Amino acid sequence: MAVAEKKLTRADLMAAFWRYVFFFQLGWNYERMQSVGYAFTMIPILKKTRPTPEEFKEAFLTNLNFFNTNPVVGAPIIIGAHIALEEAGASLETTEGLKVGLMGPLAGVGDTLLWALYNSIIFSIGSVMALNGSVLGPILVILLVLIPYLAVRYWQFFWSYRQGTNLVAQLGGGAIARITEFATLVGLIVVGGFAPSIVKLTTPLQWSRVVTVRGEQVTQTVAVQPQLDAILPLMLPVLVTGLAYWLLKRGWTPVRVILVLVAIGFIGGALGIFG
Amino acid sequence: MPTWLVALILAIWAYLCIYDILGPTLFMGFRPLISAFVTGLIIGDVQTGLMVGGTLELMALGVYTYGGATIPDFTVGGILGTYFGTRLGFEGGLALAIPAALLLTQVDILNRFLNFVFVHRADAYAEKGDSKGFDRMMYAYSHIIWGLSRAIPVFLAVAFGETVVQGVSNFFTANPWFNKGIQVTGGILPALGFAMLLKILPVSKYPAFLLVGFVMFAYLKVPLVGIAVAGVAIALAYQQLKYRAQEG
Repeated sequence: MAVAEKKLTRADLMAAFWRYVFFFQLGWNYERMQSVGYAFTMIPILKKTRPTPEEFKEAFLTNLNFFNTNPVVGAPIIIGAHIALEEAGASLETTEGLKVGLMGPLAGVGDTLLWALYNSIIFSIGSVMALNGSVLGPILVILLVLIPYLAVRYWQFFWSYRQGTNLVAQLGGGAIARITEFATLVGLIVVGGFAPSIVKLTTPLQWSRVVTVRGEQVTQTVAVQPQLDAILPLMLPVLVTGLAYWLLKRGWTPVRVILVLVAIGFIGGALGIFG
Repeated sequence: MPTWLVALILAIWAYLCIYDILGPTLFMGFRPLISAFVTGLIIGDVQTGLMVGGTLELMALGVYTYGGATIPDFTVGGILGTYFGTRLGFEGGLALAIPAALLLTQVDILNRFLNFVFVHRADAYAEKGDSKGFDRMMYAYSHIIWGLSRAIPVFLAVAFGETVVQGVSNFFTANPWFNKGIQVTGGILPALGFAMLLKILPVSKYPAFLLVGFVMFAYLKVPLVGIAVAGVAIALAYQQLKYRAQEG
């Protein structure tokens, strides 16, 4: 492969990077989602790679096409590779193909890795610390967001820029599938343990009857909760999580599921069935 | 501080929280743990901030805007829950935070709809090749609909909510069963977050891993960090064995 002429300086790349960091989703709308932030990120690059006003205008308009992926894990990979292609003089069809081809798969990886896995772990630990009265809970979480989030975005952006055109082959070679599988497995184990530790539901119900033992009246009381624990520890939290999962699977919106959970919790608590 | 000033400061904080998640994501103020904690610092009641934030955070654990879906606004819920929780107690704060979070979903939908003005303005700038104008729009006001959609409700609730809150407060002292209902609700709402996580994970393909996590907590009583570390170890081992078999 011929060595492409370097049209971009480090300052151009950093300008695009900071635009991406500070503005990526501010224009988010139902019509074209992240397109406004995407085009804004690319402006300093396009000014260099598309010197004539006609070319610049066309590239500007094209980069306002629909775009949506995970903003933290995923988007910088696409932007970095796109910049490398721009510098190599690729056509708009090629760069649009790259964006459209990668945004779906990377959204899946990013949402699983970052939101479902990393955030759920750090935020549940931070919340448990906060509920024990420690200010370190939220402070720890802020630090675990601030530094790794910036680092991971910077790394993806420049790694992908350097990989350039090889990137699609690399990601296609099973790397995405493998990372997704890894995140999925950790996610399942974590959810399996975290869900029953955090969802809290017990019952104070008792069943009592008066029996006569050797002529004396004795009240026997059987509490329901220890019986449930003997069958399956944390049975009620498992059941309520299962119910919410089943409703979501049936296509219920999160808001409707919340209303059901509020009804169960509130009525059950107020009547003394749960608590 | 006069109430209007508190209302203004909390409104600015709400603006920053929503700007942060759509822009730089430096401190995740979007999450109730953070939005409530800083609200606690601002109004001088850190403990209430930690309690309200921790509880709401666990409710919202896996709840993110996957693909731009609207979710309950626990950000504003955390701010208002902490502010009113200082007067009403923890349950009272939660009792206001949850309906506030649900009400604000309507505002979020409106916001995401109204933002189309920016993409159309951007089209107009692109037609003229005017990147300077586009830059001005982005820097000066691209964040304004997002920011105000959260700042205005917070300002109004804090500035004018006092009488409502007084009524709620009286109701609470008269009806202890209401507190109990709120407490139980707080305990089970995290089920939604986990259900959302399970929905995006292929549970039926790998049921064993879910069970391993459950057994570690329910029977072995492994703490949360331990489960996370074990999860990484098990996934690594699984992939090593699987791909070694495939490649070698």
